Amino acid sequence: MTAQRTFLYEDHIKLGGKMVEFAGWELPVMYSSIIEEHMAVRQAAGLFDVSHMGEIVVKGRGARAALQKLIPTDMGKLEKGKSMYTCFVNEQGGVIDDLFIFMLSDNEYYLVVNAGTTQKDVEWLTLNCRTNVSIQDVSAATAKIDLQGPQSYNILKKIIKDDRLAGLQRFHFFTGTYKGEPVLISQTGYTGQFGYELFCINNVASRLWNDLLEAGKEYGLRPAGLGARDTLRLEASYSLYGHELSDTITPVEGGIGFVVSAQSEYIAKDIIEHQKAHGAPRQIICLEMLDRAIPRSEYKVLHNDEDIGYITSGGFSPVLKKGIAMALVKSGVVSVGDDVAIVIRDKTSPAKVVARPFYKYSGKKV
Amino acid sequence: MSNIPENLKYTKTHEWIEVQDDYTGVCGITDHAQEMLTDIVFVELPEVGLEVKAGEQVAVVESVKAVSDVYSPVSGRIVEVNKALEDSPDLLNSDPYGKGWIFKIDIKDKHELDELMDASSYAEHVASGE
Repeated sequence: MTAQRTFLYEDHIKLGGKMVEFAGWELPVMYSSIIEEHMAVRQAAGLFDVSHMGEIVVKGRGARAALQKLIPTDMGKLEKGKSMYTCFVNEQGGVIDDLFIFMLSDNEYYLVVNAGTTQKDVEWLTLNCRTNVSIQDVSAATAKIDLQGPQSYNILKKIIKDDRLAGLQRFHFFTGTYKGEPVLISQTGYTGQFGYELFCINNVASRLWNDLLEAGKEYGLRPAGLGARDTLRLEASYSLYGHELSDTITPVEGGIGFVVSAQSEYIAKDIIEHQKAHGAPRQIICLEMLDRAIPRSEYKVLHNDEDIGYITSGGFSPVLKKGIAMALVKSGVVSVGDDVAIVIRDKTSPAKVVARPFYKYSGKKV
Repeated sequence: MSNIPENLKYTKTHEWIEVQDDYTGVCGITDHAQEMLTDIVFVELPEVGLEVKAGEQVAVVESVKAVSDVYSPVSGRIVEVNKALEDSPDLLNSDPYGKGWIFKIDIKDKHELDELMDASSYAEHVASGE
């Protein structure tokens, strides 16, 4: 199967994007430098094409109740115009996917899911939502552009003239218009930095992308690739499906135990509530390298020569200027401040367990 | 187009060697290689004294995104490594043929140099996208 291209493919080529395949899509890993794009998001702003991500509309009188059975998070946290982060769990408590749910109305919800799991999510929803619910995968018609960084507001207000923008709170959204087409504008992101996620139909995506780049010139906006997206979310210690989360890792193990809040029944509630209260067999920890080595996914973590787990995500932190990683390890063996060793190419490198996150979310808006 | 100096010899795996005298070669990675990697943040250097064969892995270069092996262009013994790279791996990006050299090697068999590419052959190799 050849990789799919987003509606911004030609724009990425024009910008010199280095294209790679990711989850079946051809996307830019970077344009000029991952570190420069990363720092642009931390200090000014960056623009990401994440149109590969999936969008699913779940609606009908039974939508709310059906969704509540699939997630450990209380649907009561939602209100019209608000979104929340959660996950689908299987009968064993493993994570099927992590997702955002946007509440459009009492009977209509907009789900944003990972690209590689969209089909699996649609099947899971179809299997579990029987009465008074319709499920529509709108991914193919939808482009998603993320504008992230402290200058995001100054840039977006030049393109979207809407009174609702100035006061938009984190995890809130509204549907504005651009070139006469609806755009869902959400104050959310995956970088640890203030910013927006924009959802529009494909035929205005390229114009919106280019208008934003032009409007952002004076504010230091740069296009940013998947490389920077990954280093930014790693610094912010956000779990990523396929790394910290999977069908065999529970939300409590995978570092997203904070999503567990529902009182009502949902799939695998017994397992998840028990782990939330008493701890899970494994846990995600954060590590900083003490030498210059770079920790990478799947490297082993040792404590007093005992194999306690493996790195789920690792890399170089442009802000801390050292190697950082998240690792899935046996619970209760190490805590913050402890020394561990990482096996890198048959040698070991020293690392320290540190508090999560490496980089605290910054809501700074200039 | 990347910089490919005329006075060096090149490997298909994007290393260069400069023959300093009859016995010693200075080695590193090419401008094209550093462009492909971008943002080099770590270099694992070989031990001085290590005996290697041509094409054998001797060092590791890591960019933000990827891990990449560095192979020796010729057989011989490593006689010196560029310790400056430990603190400034970015020298590989900024000056790949100068301050970004990686190791010096005592060349065992000068005939192996004939197997390597000259600048024009390497330019074709890069253009072919391998």
